[in-house]
Amino acid sequence: MNDEPEIFYTLPLPFGAALPLWRRCFGTGPGPRVAVTAGIHGDELEGVYLCHRLAAWLEALEQRAPEALRGRIELYPALNPTALDGLRRTIPGCETDLNRSFPGHPQGLPAQRLAHAVLQALDGCDLVVDVHASNRYLQELPQVRIEQRWAETLLPLARVLGLPLIWVHGAVNILESSLASNLNRRATPCLLLELGNGDSHTPAYAESLCAGLLRLWRHLGVLDDESEQAGPASLLAGDDDIQVVHSDSAGGLFLPTVQVGERVFAGQSLGRIVSPLRARPLAETVAPSDGLLFTLRRAHPVPQGTLLARIVTDTEVRP
Amino acid sequence: MNPPALPFTLEAPLGSAFRLQYHDLGPRERPPRLALVAGLSGLELNGVFVLARLADFLTSLERRGDGPRLRERVLILPAVNLSGLNARSRTWSYEDSDLNRAFPGSEEGDSSQRIAAAVLELTRPAYYRVDVHSSNLDIEELPQVRLYAPNDDERASACLFGLPAILERPLNPHFGASLAHAWRQYGGENFVIQSGLAGQLQPGHCETVFRALLAFLERTDMVEGLSLADMEEDLHYFGLDQTLPLLAGQPGLFVPRIELGRWVQAGERLGSVYDGFGGQVRAEVLAPVGGLVASLRRQPLAYAGDLLVRLLSPRPLDDRLDWLLHDQAQ
Repeated sequence: MNDEPEIFYTLPLPFGAALPLWRRCFGTGPGPRVAVTAGIHGDELEGVYLCHRLAAWLEALEQRAPEALRGRIELYPALNPTALDGLRRTIPGCETDLNRSFPGHPQGLPAQRLAHAVLQALDGCDLVVDVHASNRYLQELPQVRIEQRWAETLLPLARVLGLPLIWVHGAVNILESSLASNLNRRATPCLLLELGNGDSHTPAYAESLCAGLLRLWRHLGVLDDESEQAGPASLLAGDDDIQVVHSDSAGGLFLPTVQVGERVFAGQSLGRIVSPLRARPLAETVAPSDGLLFTLRRAHPVPQGTLLARIVTDTEVRP
Repeated sequence: MNPPALPFTLEAPLGSAFRLQYHDLGPRERPPRLALVAGLSGLELNGVFVLARLADFLTSLERRGDGPRLRERVLILPAVNLSGLNARSRTWSYEDSDLNRAFPGSEEGDSSQRIAAAVLELTRPAYYRVDVHSSNLDIEELPQVRLYAPNDDERASACLFGLPAILERPLNPHFGASLAHAWRQYGGENFVIQSGLAGQLQPGHCETVFRALLAFLERTDMVEGLSLADMEEDLHYFGLDQTLPLLAGQPGLFVPRIELGRWVQAGERLGSVYDGFGGQVRAEVLAPVGGLVASLRRQPLAYAGDLLVRLLSPRPLDDRLDWLLHDQAQ
């Protein structure tokens, strides 16, 4: 049965309106319970749009074949709603990063109350997919990021998604207070996705991610569908497989000449840094090795030392 | 002579280049005994002002040649986040990144990591290291020393500042990338000083911290011949179990009724939360226990759960406050 969107937590605000946390739940079957979370940073819209597409697909499924939904699918498109309203990364008012506030506390500070409510709502899920959209500076090819200590549980699930890249990384201290880390510590598997960039959405990414999620939910038995097909293979990378390209020249305007998702070769130009006052480029940025370009700085002014690109090395690619 | 600068220049895209300068005072042939850092946030001006004034004072001692003398080498970085200070922004403008979440940094990293690596490289040889902060835009802090999982030497030396409160905390995972955390890898003794309110320059707090740093220099024999007049010290040591944060139960406009640094009794009214439309009192904020008012909300707009007052109790409290360690403002 199609539930209406519901508010599962409300934080009262000083002047009348409240800060509501919304979710939409589909299915009441005894099968697995899964969730998609998005909008924990108010400048990340990719997951918000993804939830819209998933809601549309699930509404159509309930009309067409409601029995195919064997478990429960929960969409949490806007965990930081007032920040999303204003396209701000942090919670307006306290300017706190909600994704550095977990596990939170029911009687704590505002961000801690929100974090606690989110964690409580997701408790008991068989899988949570937390969708992020980088920031306004960097564009990311759709990828799953998995901390090494959870790889055994999460890697098989990540592979079913079929995104271009799975990055298994070492421990990052500051992520200890993130939603994904806290869910995984509580034995609720959580895949963290990065795609696109802040302040915008990429419909093509949402469509391929929709397909990957439906494949994953079929794989888990949330959706009853005999037509399960293998998705595209993901490139699997560890920290040692990642080459980071920084600007080593004087500051200027970075003009990329490639796009994320391109395979590049060692020595290939990735872009130029130019001065608005001179014709001659200040520097040429080149790929340090062959590989898949999965992170790229947008055409922004960049100071010296700015991260411009990330490449996952792939020695099989040749120009 | 120009003051020395860290061994790199950050070229801004369209503005001028950043050279991060510092003061290198006392006998240069020795390894530094003390490193003082402020201005990791572009809004925390009390610390910037205090360190700049301290550098001027110590420089004047060197120039004079008679009277008090600096016996040890002291490094002072009053203003690290130059772009943030110019832009009146907490963060490093070009990455919008918090410099105090960029440590230990990397010489090959982005601009904030390069700054962090250079600051760490310069300050780590010092035995004593102090990072001076000025809270945030919402909460005013009584000048205080903060210790994170300290050793006994740090506990003893923290008293030498003579500030009214010393707060001891366990290590906070959220601060794993802070300067104070990075310093711990290199031994020595490390301190964080908090005072006042970000975005302000508060002469009273600045004077207190200035005197505290002079007292520390004098009591550790880094300066000789200095006499500090009228130092009435009433310092207290507080663990996490003596910290009581009072949070807003209702949203509204908070009006404090007490002053920072006052000792209050159990039941005393600390402030009121008003309805911003109807004007009626929504809640009175009372002190559940007696204690020192160490933090006070100055931003009147309060969400439910926002910190209003932080009391430090002379006795351990019953409630465990481990959850508070996850607060980014702690």
